[in-house]
Amino acid sequence: MAGNTGRTVSRFINFSVEDDTDTMREIPVSDISIVGVVYEEQDMTAFQDAVKGSLAGMPDAPIEISGPFDNSAVATASASGVVPALSGSHTVLSGINGRLHPLGLDVQFGVRETYTAGEPQFGITATATSGYICTSYTVGSDLMYNAKFVLFPGSSLPAWGIALEAAS
Amino acid sequence: MAGRTLPRFTRVYVDGYDMSGYARTIGPLGWEFEPVDLTAQMGDEVKGYLPGHPTIGPGTLNVVFETDSDSSTAAHHVLGTQNDDRVVLVAIGDRAAPIAGNPAYMGEFLQLGYQAEVDGGAVVANVPFGPWEGSSLTAYGQPWGTLAHALAASDSDGSDSDDFIDGGSSDATAFGGYMVWHVTAGNGTATITMEHSTTTNDSDAAAIGGLTTGEINCDSTVQTGLAVTTVKTTSINQYTKWNISMNSATTVTFALGFVRGRY
Repeated sequence: MAGNTGRTVSRFINFSVEDDTDTMREIPVSDISIVGVVYEEQDMTAFQDAVKGSLAGMPDAPIEISGPFDNSAVATASASGVVPALSGSHTVLSGINGRLHPLGLDVQFGVRETYTAGEPQFGITATATSGYICTSYTVGSDLMYNAKFVLFPGSSLPAWGIALEAAS
Repeated sequence: MAGRTLPRFTRVYVDGYDMSGYARTIGPLGWEFEPVDLTAQMGDEVKGYLPGHPTIGPGTLNVVFETDSDSSTAAHHVLGTQNDDRVVLVAIGDRAAPIAGNPAYMGEFLQLGYQAEVDGGAVVANVPFGPWEGSSLTAYGQPWGTLAHALAASDSDGSDSDDFIDGGSSDATAFGGYMVWHVTAGNGTATITMEHSTTTNDSDAAAIGGLTTGEINCDSTVQTGLAVTTVKTTSINQYTKWNISMNSATTVTFALGFVRGRY
Protein backbone atom coordinates (compact mmCIF):
# COMPACT_ATOMS: atom_id res chain seq x y z
CA MET A 1 0.00 0.00 0.00
CA ALA A 2 1.33 3.42 -0.97
CA GLY A 3 1.53 6.19 1.57
CA ASN A 4 2.58 6.23 5.18
CA THR A 5 1.01 4.34 8.04
CA GLY A 6 0.85 5.26 11.70
CA ARG A 7 -0.14 8.40 13.58
CA THR A 8 -0.56 11.91 12.17
CA VAL A 9 -1.49 15.52 12.99
CA SER A 10 -4.05 17.98 11.67
CA ARG A 11 -1.72 19.85 9.33
CA PHE A 12 -1.88 16.92 6.96
CA ILE A 13 -5.70 16.98 6.69
CA ASN A 14 -7.09 18.16 3.35
CA PHE A 15 -10.72 18.97 2.48
CA SER A 16 -12.13 19.06 -1.01
CA VAL A 17 -15.67 19.50 -2.27
CA GLU A 18 -17.35 19.81 -5.64
CA ASP A 19 -18.06 23.39 -6.72
CA ASP A 20 -20.89 24.85 -8.82
CA THR A 21 -19.08 23.88 -12.02
CA ASP A 22 -19.03 20.21 -10.96
CA THR A 23 -15.30 20.24 -10.25
CA MET A 24 -13.52 19.16 -7.06
CA ARG A 25 -11.86 22.07 -5.22
CA GLU A 26 -9.63 22.11 -2.15
CA ILE A 27 -10.54 24.89 0.26
CA PRO A 28 -8.83 26.20 3.40
CA VAL A 29 -10.11 24.55 6.58
CA SER A 30 -8.98 25.17 10.14
CA ASP A 31 -11.54 23.09 12.00
CA ILE A 32 -13.65 20.10 11.09
CA SER A 33 -16.36 18.24 12.93
CA ILE A 34 -16.29 14.57 13.74
CA VAL A 35 -15.85 12.74 10.44
CA GLY A 36 -17.55 9.43 9.71
CA VAL A 37 -20.85 7.59 9.86
CA VAL A 38 -22.93 7.37 13.01
CA TYR A 39 -26.04 5.20 13.45
CA GLU A 40 -29.10 6.11 15.46
CA GLU A 41 -29.30 3.88 18.51
CA GLN A 42 -32.75 2.29 18.76
CA ASP A 43 -33.50 0.93 22.19
CA MET A 44 -35.02 -2.58 21.94
CA THR A 45 -35.09 -3.40 25.65
CA ALA A 46 -38.04 -5.31 27.09
CA PHE A 47 -38.94 -5.39 30.79
CA GLN A 48 -37.89 -8.99 30.92
CA ASP A 49 -34.40 -8.44 29.54
CA ALA A 50 -31.43 -8.70 31.87
CA VAL A 51 -29.66 -5.81 30.20
CA LYS A 52 -30.49 -2.97 27.84
CA GLY A 53 -30.19 -3.82 24.16
CA SER A 54 -30.18 -1.75 21.01
CA LEU A 55 -30.21 -2.05 17.25
CA ALA A 56 -28.66 0.34 14.81
CA GLY A 57 -31.18 2.63 13.10
CA MET A 58 -30.56 4.95 10.18
CA PRO A 59 -27.00 6.12 9.68
CA ASP A 60 -26.09 9.76 9.16
CA ALA A 61 -22.86 11.50 8.26
CA PRO A 62 -23.09 15.28 8.63
CA ILE A 63 -19.90 17.29 8.31
CA GLU A 64 -19.23 20.80 9.55
CA ILE A 65 -16.14 22.80 8.69
CA SER A 66 -14.76 26.22 9.43
CA GLY A 67 -11.80 28.20 8.18
CA PRO A 68 -10.61 31.53 6.85
CA PHE A 69 -12.78 33.55 4.50
CA ASP A 70 -10.91 33.60 1.19
CA ASN A 71 -12.09 34.92 -2.18
CA SER A 72 -9.22 33.56 -4.26
CA ALA A 73 -9.97 32.20 -7.71
CA VAL A 74 -10.56 28.49 -8.09
CA ALA A 75 -7.55 26.25 -8.63
CA THR A 76 -7.24 22.75 -10.00
CA ALA A 77 -7.30 20.29 -7.13
CA SER A 78 -4.02 18.53 -6.49
CA ALA A 79 -3.32 14.93 -7.28
CA SER A 80 -2.33 12.29 -4.77
CA GLY A 81 0.94 13.13 -3.08
CA VAL A 82 0.91 16.76 -4.23
CA VAL A 83 0.59 19.74 -1.90
CA PRO A 84 -3.04 21.03 -1.94
CA ALA A 85 -3.83 23.79 -4.43
CA LEU A 86 -6.34 25.83 -2.49
CA SER A 87 -9.33 27.58 -4.03
CA GLY A 88 -11.07 30.43 -2.22
CA SER A 89 -13.45 29.21 0.47
CA HIS A 90 -15.90 32.03 -0.32
CA THR A 91 -15.54 31.42 -4.04
CA VAL A 92 -16.56 27.77 -3.66
CA LEU A 93 -19.01 27.82 -0.75
CA SER A 94 -21.04 30.83 -1.91
CA GLY A 95 -21.73 28.93 -5.12
CA ILE A 96 -22.91 25.67 -3.59
CA ASN A 97 -24.84 26.64 -0.46
CA GLY A 98 -28.45 25.65 -1.08
CA ARG A 99 -27.64 24.09 -4.44
CA LEU A 100 -29.95 21.16 -5.18
CA HIS A 101 -27.22 19.00 -6.64
CA PRO A 102 -25.33 16.14 -4.97
CA LEU A 103 -21.72 17.13 -4.38
CA GLY A 104 -18.60 15.03 -4.21
CA LEU A 105 -16.79 15.52 -0.91
CA ASP A 106 -13.48 14.22 0.39
CA VAL A 107 -11.76 14.54 3.75
CA GLN A 108 -8.21 13.27 3.38
CA PHE A 109 -6.02 12.30 6.32
CA GLY A 110 -2.43 12.46 5.20
CA VAL A 111 -0.20 10.44 7.49
CA ARG A 112 2.77 12.66 8.37
CA GLU A 113 2.86 13.84 4.74
CA THR A 114 0.70 15.46 2.08
CA TYR A 115 -2.19 13.10 1.45
CA THR A 116 -1.14 10.21 -0.72
CA ALA A 117 -3.48 7.57 -2.10
CA GLY A 118 -3.37 4.59 0.23
CA GLU A 119 -3.78 6.77 3.30
CA PRO A 120 -7.24 7.10 4.91
CA GLN A 121 -9.91 9.37 3.51
CA PHE A 122 -13.65 9.71 4.07
CA GLY A 123 -16.18 10.91 1.56
CA ILE A 124 -18.23 10.14 -1.49
CA THR A 125 -17.87 10.34 -5.24
CA ALA A 126 -20.93 12.16 -6.47
CA THR A 127 -23.48 10.83 -8.93
CA ALA A 128 -26.78 12.28 -10.07
CA THR A 129 -28.38 10.85 -6.94
CA SER A 130 -25.59 10.50 -4.40
CA GLY A 131 -23.50 13.05 -2.60
CA TYR A 132 -23.57 15.87 -0.10
CA ILE A 133 -25.41 19.19 -0.15
CA CYS A 134 -24.31 22.34 1.58
CA THR A 135 -27.00 23.78 3.86
CA SER A 136 -25.22 26.59 5.69
CA TYR A 137 -22.52 29.13 4.97
CA THR A 138 -21.95 31.87 7.52
CA VAL A 139 -19.09 34.31 7.94
CA GLY A 140 -18.19 35.50 11.44
CA SER A 141 -17.05 38.95 12.49
CA ASP A 142 -13.51 37.55 12.62
CA LEU A 143 -13.84 36.62 8.93
CA MET A 144 -13.84 32.94 9.63
CA TYR A 145 -16.51 30.94 7.86
CA ASN A 146 -18.61 28.00 9.01
CA ALA A 147 -20.27 25.57 6.59
CA LYS A 148 -22.44 22.49 7.06
CA PHE A 149 -22.94 19.51 4.79
CA VAL A 150 -25.54 16.75 4.89
CA LEU A 151 -26.36 13.96 2.45
CA PHE A 152 -28.77 14.22 -0.49
CA PRO A 153 -31.97 12.14 -0.10
CA GLY A 154 -31.50 8.63 -1.44
CA SER A 155 -27.74 8.96 -1.43
CA SER A 156 -25.48 6.00 -0.99
CA LEU A 157 -23.48 5.88 2.20
CA PRO A 158 -20.18 7.78 2.27
CA ALA A 159 -17.35 5.61 3.44
CA TRP A 160 -13.78 5.42 4.58
CA GLY A 161 -11.41 4.54 1.80
CA ILE A 162 -7.91 5.12 0.49
CA ALA A 163 -8.43 6.88 -2.86
CA LEU A 164 -9.47 10.38 -3.88
CA GLU A 165 -13.19 11.02 -4.41
CA ALA A 166 -14.49 12.67 -7.57
CA ALA A 167 -17.13 15.14 -8.70
CA SER A 168 -20.28 14.11 -10.52
CA MET B 1 -5.09 40.58 -4.62
CA ALA B 2 -7.84 38.12 -3.80
CA GLY B 3 -7.28 35.80 -0.88
CA ARG B 4 -7.60 35.97 2.88
CA THR B 5 -8.21 39.22 4.66
CA LEU B 6 -8.84 40.88 8.01
CA PRO B 7 -11.89 42.44 9.70
CA ARG B 8 -10.32 45.91 9.51
CA PHE B 9 -10.86 45.90 5.77
CA THR B 10 -14.61 45.40 6.14
CA ARG B 11 -16.99 48.32 5.55
CA VAL B 12 -20.60 48.57 6.72
CA TYR B 13 -23.30 50.77 5.24
CA VAL B 14 -26.73 51.08 6.85
CA ASP B 15 -29.64 53.04 5.41
CA GLY B 16 -27.44 55.39 3.43
CA TYR B 17 -24.91 55.99 6.18
CA ASP B 18 -21.35 54.78 6.30
CA MET B 19 -21.09 53.14 9.71
CA SER B 20 -17.53 51.93 9.13
CA GLY B 21 -16.08 54.73 11.23
CA TYR B 22 -18.03 53.47 14.24
CA ALA B 23 -18.19 49.72 13.63
CA ARG B 24 -16.09 47.26 15.63
CA THR B 25 -17.56 43.98 14.44
CA ILE B 26 -20.48 42.61 12.44
CA GLY B 27 -21.66 39.06 12.08
CA PRO B 28 -22.10 36.26 11.72
CA LEU B 29 -23.17 37.03 8.17
CA GLY B 30 -25.69 34.22 8.07
CA TRP B 31 -27.00 32.12 5.20
CA GLU B 32 -28.44 28.90 6.60
CA PHE B 33 -30.87 26.51 4.97
CA GLU B 34 -33.01 24.42 7.26
CA PRO B 35 -32.07 20.82 6.42
CA VAL B 36 -35.35 18.99 5.81
CA ASP B 37 -35.12 15.27 6.54
CA LEU B 38 -36.44 13.31 3.54
CA THR B 39 -35.12 9.93 4.52
CA ALA B 40 -37.10 6.93 3.32
CA GLN B 41 -35.78 4.56 5.94
CA MET B 42 -37.07 1.42 4.27
CA GLY B 43 -35.09 2.05 1.12
CA ASP B 44 -32.34 4.56 1.78
CA GLU B 45 -28.84 3.64 2.89
CA VAL B 46 -28.31 6.80 4.86
CA LYS B 47 -30.23 9.82 6.07
CA GLY B 48 -30.85 12.36 3.34
CA TYR B 49 -31.88 16.01 3.37
CA LEU B 50 -32.87 18.84 1.10
CA PRO B 51 -32.42 22.51 1.91
CA GLY B 52 -35.61 24.22 3.12
CA HIS B 53 -36.06 27.95 3.58
CA PRO B 54 -32.82 29.84 4.09
CA THR B 55 -32.43 32.20 7.01
CA ILE B 56 -30.42 35.23 6.01
CA GLY B 57 -29.28 37.94 8.38
CA PRO B 58 -26.13 39.95 9.13
CA GLY B 59 -25.98 39.08 12.82
CA THR B 60 -25.07 41.82 15.25
CA LEU B 61 -23.37 45.10 14.47
CA ASN B 62 -21.22 46.29 17.37
CA VAL B 63 -20.37 49.99 17.26
CA VAL B 64 -18.76 52.53 19.52
CA PHE B 65 -21.41 54.54 21.33
CA GLU B 66 -21.01 57.91 19.66
CA THR B 67 -23.07 61.03 19.08
CA ASP B 68 -22.43 64.13 17.03
CA SER B 69 -23.28 67.79 17.48
CA ASP B 70 -26.10 67.97 14.96
CA SER B 71 -27.59 64.58 15.76
CA SER B 72 -27.23 63.41 12.20
CA THR B 73 -24.69 60.85 11.04
CA ALA B 74 -23.14 59.32 14.17
CA ALA B 75 -23.97 55.75 15.09
CA HIS B 76 -26.18 56.68 18.04
CA HIS B 77 -28.44 58.78 15.83
CA VAL B 78 -28.52 56.48 12.83
CA LEU B 79 -29.01 53.24 14.74
CA GLY B 80 -30.78 54.46 17.86
CA THR B 81 -34.22 53.67 16.48
CA GLN B 82 -34.87 49.95 16.61
CA ASN B 83 -37.77 47.93 15.23
CA ASP B 84 -37.18 49.36 11.79
CA ASP B 85 -36.17 47.79 8.50
CA ARG B 86 -32.63 48.63 7.43
CA VAL B 87 -30.88 48.38 4.10
CA VAL B 88 -27.50 46.86 4.89
CA LEU B 89 -24.41 46.40 2.74
CA VAL B 90 -21.26 44.77 4.13
CA ALA B 91 -18.25 44.91 1.81
CA ILE B 92 -15.10 42.89 2.48
CA GLY B 93 -11.88 44.30 1.06
CA ASP B 94 -8.87 42.26 0.02
CA ARG B 95 -6.31 43.42 2.58
CA ALA B 96 -7.23 46.99 1.63
CA ALA B 97 -10.36 49.12 1.57
CA PRO B 98 -13.04 47.41 -0.52
CA ILE B 99 -13.06 48.06 -4.23
CA ALA B 100 -15.50 47.10 -6.96
CA GLY B 101 -15.57 43.36 -7.44
CA ASN B 102 -14.91 42.48 -3.79
CA PRO B 103 -17.38 40.20 -1.96
CA ALA B 104 -20.38 41.95 -0.44
CA TYR B 105 -23.28 40.76 1.71
CA MET B 106 -26.50 42.74 1.36
CA GLY B 107 -30.22 42.89 1.92
CA GLU B 108 -33.00 44.53 3.88
CA PHE B 109 -33.18 43.38 7.47
CA LEU B 110 -35.17 44.15 10.58
CA GLN B 111 -33.19 45.98 13.26
CA LEU B 112 -34.24 44.25 16.45
CA GLY B 113 -32.55 46.42 19.04
CA TYR B 114 -30.08 49.06 20.10
CA GLN B 115 -28.42 48.36 23.43
CA ALA B 116 -25.52 50.17 25.04
CA GLU B 117 -23.06 48.26 27.17
CA VAL B 118 -19.64 48.65 28.71
CA ASP B 119 -16.93 46.50 27.20
CA GLY B 120 -13.61 46.76 28.96
CA GLY B 121 -14.35 50.33 29.96
CA ALA B 122 -15.48 51.37 26.50
CA VAL B 123 -19.11 52.35 26.00
CA VAL B 124 -20.34 50.53 22.93
CA ALA B 125 -23.68 49.57 21.43
CA ASN B 126 -24.99 46.32 20.03
CA VAL B 127 -27.33 46.43 17.06
CA PRO B 128 -28.84 42.99 16.47
CA PHE B 129 -30.40 42.40 13.08
CA GLY B 130 -33.07 39.80 12.43
CA PRO B 131 -33.62 37.91 9.20
CA TRP B 132 -34.87 39.42 5.98
CA GLU B 133 -37.50 42.06 6.75
CA GLY B 134 -40.88 40.40 6.33
CA SER B 135 -42.68 43.10 4.37
CA SER B 136 -39.96 43.46 1.77
CA LEU B 137 -39.19 39.83 1.00
CA THR B 138 -37.59 39.33 -2.36
CA ALA B 139 -37.49 36.22 -4.49
CA TYR B 140 -33.81 35.80 -3.71
CA GLY B 141 -32.53 33.41 -1.08
CA GLN B 142 -28.93 34.43 -1.36
CA PRO B 143 -27.19 37.40 0.23
CA TRP B 144 -23.70 37.28 -1.29
CA GLY B 145 -22.78 39.31 -4.32
CA THR B 146 -20.13 41.83 -5.21
CA LEU B 147 -19.47 45.47 -4.58
CA ALA B 148 -20.27 47.15 -7.90
CA HIS B 149 -19.19 50.65 -6.82
CA ALA B 150 -17.09 51.35 -3.75
CA LEU B 151 -18.14 54.33 -1.69
CA ALA B 152 -16.75 57.32 -3.59
CA ALA B 153 -17.93 60.45 -5.36
CA SER B 154 -18.94 60.30 -9.00
CA ASP B 155 -18.78 63.68 -10.65
CA SER B 156 -19.97 62.97 -14.17
CA ASP B 157 -22.27 60.79 -16.19
CA GLY B 158 -21.52 57.17 -16.67
CA SER B 159 -19.01 54.44 -16.01
CA ASP B 160 -16.61 52.96 -18.55
CA SER B 161 -15.12 49.68 -19.70
CA ASP B 162 -12.84 49.45 -16.68
CA ASP B 163 -15.85 49.14 -14.40
CA PHE B 164 -17.06 45.79 -15.70
CA ILE B 165 -17.09 42.90 -13.22
CA ASP B 166 -16.69 39.41 -14.63
CA GLY B 167 -19.45 37.05 -13.50
CA GLY B 168 -17.15 34.10 -14.13
CA SER B 169 -18.93 32.24 -16.91
CA SER B 170 -19.62 33.22 -20.50
CA ASP B 171 -23.09 31.75 -20.08
CA ALA B 172 -25.71 34.27 -19.03
CA THR B 173 -27.52 33.51 -15.82
CA ALA B 174 -31.31 33.36 -15.96
CA PHE B 175 -32.34 34.07 -12.39
CA GLY B 176 -32.37 37.86 -12.19
CA GLY B 177 -30.75 39.59 -9.25
CA TYR B 178 -30.93 42.64 -7.02
CA MET B 179 -28.93 45.72 -6.16
CA VAL B 180 -28.53 47.71 -2.97
CA TRP B 181 -27.48 51.35 -2.93
CA HIS B 182 -26.38 53.85 -0.32
CA VAL B 183 -26.02 57.49 -1.33
CA THR B 184 -24.21 59.32 1.47
CA ALA B 185 -23.84 62.75 -0.15
CA GLY B 186 -24.72 64.68 -3.28
CA ASN B 187 -26.11 67.91 -4.58
CA GLY B 188 -29.02 67.22 -6.91
CA THR B 189 -30.93 64.52 -8.70
CA ALA B 190 -29.41 61.44 -10.32
CA THR B 191 -30.30 57.91 -11.38
CA ILE B 192 -28.06 54.92 -10.58
CA THR B 193 -28.47 51.71 -12.56
CA MET B 194 -26.86 48.33 -13.20
CA GLU B 195 -25.90 47.27 -16.73
CA HIS B 196 -24.72 44.06 -18.31
CA SER B 197 -22.87 42.94 -21.41
CA THR B 198 -21.39 39.92 -23.17
CA THR B 199 -18.16 41.88 -23.72
CA THR B 200 -16.14 44.45 -21.81
CA ASN B 201 -16.83 47.12 -24.40
CA ASP B 202 -18.68 49.99 -22.82
CA SER B 203 -20.70 50.48 -26.00
CA ASP B 204 -22.23 47.00 -25.62
CA ALA B 205 -23.58 47.63 -22.13
CA ALA B 206 -27.35 47.62 -21.71
CA ALA B 207 -29.53 48.33 -18.71
CA ILE B 208 -30.74 45.40 -16.61
CA GLY B 209 -34.50 45.75 -16.36
CA GLY B 210 -35.60 46.81 -12.90
CA LEU B 211 -32.14 47.52 -11.48
CA THR B 212 -32.46 51.26 -11.12
CA THR B 213 -32.84 53.68 -8.27
CA GLY B 214 -35.17 55.82 -10.33
CA GLU B 215 -34.47 59.51 -10.06
CA ILE B 216 -33.35 60.26 -6.52
CA ASN B 217 -32.72 63.57 -4.80
CA CYS B 218 -29.25 63.38 -3.31
CA ASP B 219 -29.04 66.78 -1.65
CA SER B 220 -31.75 66.67 0.96
CA THR B 221 -31.75 63.34 2.74
CA VAL B 222 -29.59 60.27 2.40
CA GLN B 223 -30.87 57.83 -0.15
CA THR B 224 -30.87 54.07 0.14
CA GLY B 225 -32.82 51.15 -1.20
CA LEU B 226 -33.00 47.75 -2.81
CA ALA B 227 -34.16 47.08 -6.37
CA VAL B 228 -34.84 43.71 -7.97
CA THR B 229 -34.84 42.74 -11.62
CA THR B 230 -38.13 43.09 -13.46
CA VAL B 231 -38.74 39.36 -13.20
CA LYS B 232 -36.98 36.53 -11.40
CA THR B 233 -36.03 35.04 -14.77
CA THR B 234 -34.29 38.13 -16.11
CA SER B 235 -31.22 37.10 -18.09
CA ILE B 236 -27.93 38.69 -16.97
CA ASN B 237 -24.83 38.47 -19.14
CA GLN B 238 -21.30 37.68 -17.99
CA TYR B 239 -20.14 41.24 -17.34
CA THR B 240 -21.95 43.75 -15.14
CA LYS B 241 -21.22 47.34 -14.11
CA TRP B 242 -22.75 50.35 -12.47
CA ASN B 243 -23.87 53.48 -14.28
CA ILE B 244 -25.18 56.87 -13.25
CA SER B 245 -27.10 59.58 -15.02
CA MET B 246 -26.51 62.97 -13.50
CA ASN B 247 -29.65 64.97 -13.81
CA SER B 248 -29.32 68.15 -11.77
CA ALA B 249 -26.54 66.68 -9.62
CA THR B 250 -22.87 67.38 -10.27
CA THR B 251 -21.55 65.04 -7.59
CA VAL B 252 -22.99 61.95 -5.94
CA THR B 253 -21.19 59.85 -3.33
CA PHE B 254 -22.50 56.31 -3.26
CA ALA B 255 -21.83 52.63 -2.66
CA LEU B 256 -23.60 50.01 -4.77
CA GLY B 257 -23.81 46.25 -4.35
CA PHE B 258 -25.15 43.67 -6.76
CA VAL B 259 -26.29 40.07 -6.26
CA ARG B 260 -26.58 37.86 -9.31
CA GLY B 261 -29.33 35.27 -8.84
CA ARG B 262 -27.90 31.75 -9.05
CA TYR B 263 -31.06 29.67 -8.73
